[in-house]
Amino acid sequence: MSKYLFIQSQDPFTESRARHQFELIGQLHEAGHDVSVLLVQNGVTPARRGARGEGLDQLLNREVSIYADVFSLEQRELDESDLKDRIIVSGLHIIIDAMLARGKVIWH
Amino acid sequence: MSHDRILTFAFMEPPFESERTITFFRLLDAALDRDVDVRVFAYEGAVALAFAHQQPHGNAMHGRDSGEEAHPLTKDWIRALQEKAKAKRIGFEWINCGLCVDERGVNDVIDGCGRGGPPDLWRYASEARNTLTIGTR
Repeated sequence: MSKYLFIQSQDPFTESRARHQFELIGQLHEAGHDVSVLLVQNGVTPARRGARGEGLDQLLNREVSIYADVFSLEQRELDESDLKDRIIVSGLHIIIDAMLARGKVIWH
Repeated sequence: MSHDRILTFAFMEPPFESERTITFFRLLDAALDRDVDVRVFAYEGAVALAFAHQQPHGNAMHGRDSGEEAHPLTKDWIRALQEKAKAKRIGFEWINCGLCVDERGVNDVIDGCGRGGPPDLWRYASEARNTLTIGTR
Protein backbone atom coordinates (compact mmCIF):
# COMPACT_ATOMS: atom_id res chain seq x y z
CA MET A 1 0.00 0.00 0.00
CA SER A 2 1.29 3.43 -0.93
CA LYS A 3 0.44 6.75 0.60
CA TYR A 4 -0.73 9.47 -1.78
CA LEU A 5 -1.45 13.16 -1.35
CA PHE A 6 -3.03 14.82 -4.36
CA ILE A 7 -2.84 18.60 -4.57
CA GLN A 8 -6.01 19.37 -6.50
CA SER A 9 -5.71 22.85 -8.03
CA GLN A 10 -8.07 22.26 -10.94
CA ASP A 11 -11.82 22.46 -10.55
CA PRO A 12 -14.43 20.40 -12.40
CA PHE A 13 -16.36 23.45 -13.62
CA THR A 14 -13.67 24.92 -15.87
CA GLU A 15 -11.21 22.04 -16.36
CA SER A 16 -12.61 18.95 -18.09
CA ARG A 17 -9.59 16.91 -17.03
CA ALA A 18 -10.56 17.31 -13.36
CA ARG A 19 -13.15 14.55 -13.80
CA HIS A 20 -10.45 12.08 -14.79
CA GLN A 21 -8.24 13.30 -11.95
CA PHE A 22 -10.97 12.57 -9.40
CA GLU A 23 -11.52 9.18 -11.04
CA LEU A 24 -7.84 8.33 -10.65
CA ILE A 25 -7.91 9.33 -7.00
CA GLY A 26 -10.99 7.17 -6.43
CA GLN A 27 -9.43 4.20 -8.21
CA LEU A 28 -6.30 4.38 -6.08
CA HIS A 29 -8.46 4.50 -2.97
CA GLU A 30 -10.49 1.52 -4.18
CA ALA A 31 -7.24 -0.36 -4.80
CA GLY A 32 -6.45 -0.05 -1.12
CA HIS A 33 -3.99 2.82 -1.10
CA ASP A 34 -3.98 5.51 1.57
CA VAL A 35 -5.17 8.54 -0.40
CA SER A 36 -5.70 12.14 0.71
CA VAL A 37 -6.56 15.25 -1.27
CA LEU A 38 -5.71 18.88 -0.58
CA LEU A 39 -7.89 21.31 -2.53
CA VAL A 40 -6.07 24.52 -3.49
CA GLN A 41 -6.77 27.53 -5.72
CA ASN A 42 -9.92 26.97 -7.80
CA GLY A 43 -9.82 23.38 -6.62
CA VAL A 44 -11.71 24.50 -3.51
CA THR A 45 -14.83 25.54 -5.46
CA PRO A 46 -16.54 22.10 -5.50
CA ALA A 47 -16.05 21.95 -1.72
CA ARG A 48 -18.71 24.61 -1.22
CA ARG A 49 -21.91 23.27 0.27
CA GLY A 50 -24.41 22.88 -2.55
CA ALA A 51 -21.79 22.84 -5.30
CA ARG A 52 -22.47 20.12 -7.86
CA GLY A 53 -19.11 18.42 -7.97
CA GLU A 54 -19.77 14.76 -8.53
CA GLY A 55 -16.11 13.69 -8.50
CA LEU A 56 -15.39 15.28 -5.14
CA ASP A 57 -18.71 14.09 -3.69
CA GLN A 58 -17.89 10.50 -4.60
CA LEU A 59 -14.55 10.78 -2.80
CA LEU A 60 -16.30 12.19 0.25
CA ASN A 61 -18.81 9.32 0.17
CA ARG A 62 -15.90 6.87 0.02
CA GLU A 63 -14.43 8.59 3.09
CA VAL A 64 -11.27 9.74 1.34
CA SER A 65 -9.61 12.42 3.49
CA ILE A 66 -10.26 15.82 1.91
CA TYR A 67 -8.55 19.02 3.02
CA ALA A 68 -9.11 22.57 1.76
CA ASP A 69 -6.39 25.22 1.76
CA VAL A 70 -7.35 28.05 4.11
CA PHE A 71 -5.70 30.74 1.99
CA SER A 72 -7.52 29.64 -1.17
CA LEU A 73 -10.80 29.63 0.77
CA GLU A 74 -10.21 33.12 2.17
CA GLN A 75 -9.41 34.47 -1.29
CA ARG A 76 -12.84 33.28 -2.38
CA GLU A 77 -14.61 34.49 0.78
CA LEU A 78 -15.32 30.96 1.92
CA ASP A 79 -14.89 29.65 5.44
CA GLU A 80 -15.35 26.33 7.15
CA SER A 81 -19.11 26.82 7.62
CA ASP A 82 -19.52 27.11 3.83
CA LEU A 83 -18.00 23.69 3.19
CA LYS A 84 -19.50 20.28 2.74
CA ASP A 85 -19.30 17.94 5.71
CA ARG A 86 -16.03 16.07 6.29
CA ILE A 87 -13.83 18.63 4.56
CA ILE A 88 -11.03 19.81 6.84
CA VAL A 89 -9.53 23.29 6.55
CA SER A 90 -5.75 23.15 6.41
CA GLY A 91 -2.59 25.00 5.46
CA LEU A 92 0.05 23.87 3.00
CA HIS A 93 2.18 22.33 5.74
CA ILE A 94 0.46 18.99 5.16
CA ILE A 95 2.20 18.85 1.79
CA ILE A 96 5.57 19.29 3.45
CA ASP A 97 4.71 16.67 6.07
CA ALA A 98 3.62 14.21 3.37
CA MET A 99 6.83 14.79 1.41
CA LEU A 100 8.96 14.28 4.52
CA ALA A 101 7.07 11.04 5.17
CA ARG A 102 8.07 9.94 1.67
CA GLY A 103 4.50 9.93 0.45
CA LYS A 104 3.68 10.20 -3.23
CA VAL A 105 2.72 13.85 -3.59
CA ILE A 106 1.16 14.67 -6.94
CA TRP A 107 0.12 18.04 -8.33
CA HIS A 108 -3.15 18.12 -10.28
CA MET B 1 22.14 9.37 -0.92
CA SER B 2 19.09 11.30 0.24
CA HIS B 3 19.02 13.55 3.27
CA ASP B 4 16.12 13.50 5.67
CA ARG B 5 15.51 17.25 5.69
CA ILE B 6 15.98 18.19 2.04
CA LEU B 7 13.02 18.66 -0.30
CA THR B 8 13.25 19.48 -3.99
CA PHE B 9 10.72 21.43 -6.02
CA ALA B 10 10.63 21.69 -9.81
CA PHE B 11 8.62 24.61 -11.11
CA MET B 12 7.99 25.96 -14.62
CA GLU B 13 5.41 28.75 -14.23
CA PRO B 14 6.42 32.28 -15.35
CA PRO B 15 5.98 35.19 -12.94
CA PHE B 16 2.84 37.36 -12.87
CA GLU B 17 0.67 34.86 -14.76
CA SER B 18 -0.95 32.35 -12.47
CA GLU B 19 -2.16 31.59 -8.98
CA ARG B 20 0.18 28.60 -9.06
CA THR B 21 3.09 30.98 -8.49
CA ILE B 22 1.55 32.18 -5.22
CA THR B 23 0.90 28.62 -4.09
CA PHE B 24 4.44 27.63 -5.02
CA PHE B 25 6.01 30.40 -2.94
CA ARG B 26 3.68 29.63 -0.03
CA LEU B 27 4.81 26.02 -0.26
CA LEU B 28 8.48 27.01 -0.07
CA ASP B 29 7.67 29.19 2.93
CA ALA B 30 5.86 26.26 4.60
CA ALA B 31 8.93 24.09 4.02
CA LEU B 32 11.17 26.63 5.74
CA ASP B 33 8.68 26.78 8.62
CA ARG B 34 9.27 23.02 8.99
CA ASP B 35 13.08 23.63 9.02
CA VAL B 36 13.47 21.87 5.70
CA ASP B 37 16.40 22.53 3.38
CA VAL B 38 14.84 23.68 0.12
CA ARG B 39 16.14 23.00 -3.39
CA VAL B 40 14.41 24.64 -6.36
CA PHE B 41 14.96 23.78 -9.99
CA ALA B 42 13.28 26.46 -12.10
CA TYR B 43 12.76 25.78 -15.77
CA GLU B 44 10.83 27.18 -18.74
CA GLY B 45 9.06 30.41 -17.72
CA ALA B 46 9.97 30.04 -14.05
CA VAL B 47 13.55 31.12 -14.77
CA ALA B 48 12.22 34.71 -14.89
CA LEU B 49 11.09 34.52 -11.27
CA ALA B 50 14.60 35.55 -10.19
CA PHE B 51 15.20 38.12 -12.95
CA ALA B 52 17.00 41.04 -11.32
CA HIS B 53 15.47 43.78 -13.51
CA GLN B 54 11.86 43.25 -12.50
CA GLN B 55 10.35 46.65 -11.70
CA PRO B 56 7.28 47.58 -9.67
CA HIS B 57 4.77 49.88 -11.31
CA GLY B 58 1.92 52.15 -10.32
CA ASN B 59 -1.71 51.84 -11.34
CA ALA B 60 -2.84 54.98 -13.15
CA MET B 61 -6.38 53.67 -13.48
CA HIS B 62 -6.70 53.60 -9.71
CA GLY B 63 -4.60 56.73 -9.17
CA ARG B 64 -1.87 54.94 -7.24
CA ASP B 65 1.85 55.47 -7.70
CA SER B 66 4.38 52.65 -7.50
CA GLY B 67 4.79 52.87 -3.75
CA GLU B 68 1.04 52.91 -3.08
CA GLU B 69 0.45 50.03 -5.45
CA ALA B 70 3.15 47.95 -3.69
CA HIS B 71 3.28 45.63 -6.66
CA PRO B 72 4.77 42.32 -5.54
CA LEU B 73 7.84 41.10 -7.40
CA THR B 74 8.86 37.46 -7.42
CA LYS B 75 12.57 38.33 -7.14
CA ASP B 76 11.74 39.98 -3.80
CA TRP B 77 9.86 36.91 -2.62
CA ILE B 78 12.87 34.74 -3.45
CA ARG B 79 15.13 37.13 -1.57
CA ALA B 80 12.79 37.05 1.43
CA LEU B 81 12.89 33.24 1.44
CA GLN B 82 16.69 33.31 1.19
CA GLU B 83 16.83 35.61 4.21
CA LYS B 84 14.37 33.48 6.17
CA ALA B 85 16.44 30.37 5.50
CA LYS B 86 19.62 32.17 6.47
CA ALA B 87 18.07 33.35 9.75
CA LYS B 88 17.00 29.78 10.51
CA ARG B 89 20.40 28.43 9.39
CA ILE B 90 18.91 26.08 6.85
CA GLY B 91 19.64 25.71 3.18
CA PHE B 92 17.84 27.38 0.31
CA GLU B 93 19.25 26.68 -3.14
CA TRP B 94 17.85 27.82 -6.46
CA ILE B 95 19.04 26.77 -9.91
CA ASN B 96 17.66 28.07 -13.19
CA CYS B 97 17.79 25.95 -16.33
CA GLY B 98 20.44 27.68 -18.44
CA LEU B 99 18.86 26.86 -21.80
CA CYS B 100 15.57 28.32 -20.60
CA VAL B 101 17.38 31.43 -19.35
CA ASP B 102 19.11 31.96 -22.69
CA GLU B 103 15.87 31.57 -24.62
CA ARG B 104 14.30 34.34 -22.58
CA GLY B 105 17.33 36.59 -22.11
CA VAL B 106 16.91 36.69 -18.34
CA ASN B 107 20.53 36.00 -17.49
CA ASP B 108 20.82 38.71 -14.86
CA VAL B 109 19.35 37.16 -11.72
CA ILE B 110 19.49 38.09 -8.06
CA ASP B 111 22.32 36.79 -5.88
CA GLY B 112 21.94 33.27 -4.62
CA CYS B 113 20.26 31.94 -7.74
CA GLY B 114 22.49 29.83 -9.95
CA ARG B 115 22.54 28.53 -13.48
CA GLY B 116 22.51 24.87 -14.38
CA GLY B 117 20.67 22.21 -16.29
CA PRO B 118 18.72 18.95 -16.03
CA PRO B 119 21.65 17.13 -14.33
CA ASP B 120 21.17 19.52 -11.42
CA LEU B 121 17.54 18.50 -11.13
CA TRP B 122 18.68 14.87 -11.10
CA ARG B 123 21.23 15.67 -8.38
CA TYR B 124 18.69 17.65 -6.36
CA ALA B 125 16.14 14.85 -6.61
CA SER B 126 18.74 12.21 -5.74
CA GLU B 127 19.83 14.09 -2.64
CA ALA B 128 16.35 14.98 -1.44
CA ARG B 129 13.97 13.13 0.80
CA ASN B 130 11.27 13.82 -1.78
CA THR B 131 10.60 15.87 -4.90
CA LEU B 132 7.49 17.66 -6.10
CA THR B 133 7.02 18.71 -9.72
CA ILE B 134 4.45 21.41 -10.35
CA GLY B 135 3.38 21.58 -13.97
CA THR B 136 1.72 24.48 -15.72
CA ARG B 137 -1.66 22.75 -15.65
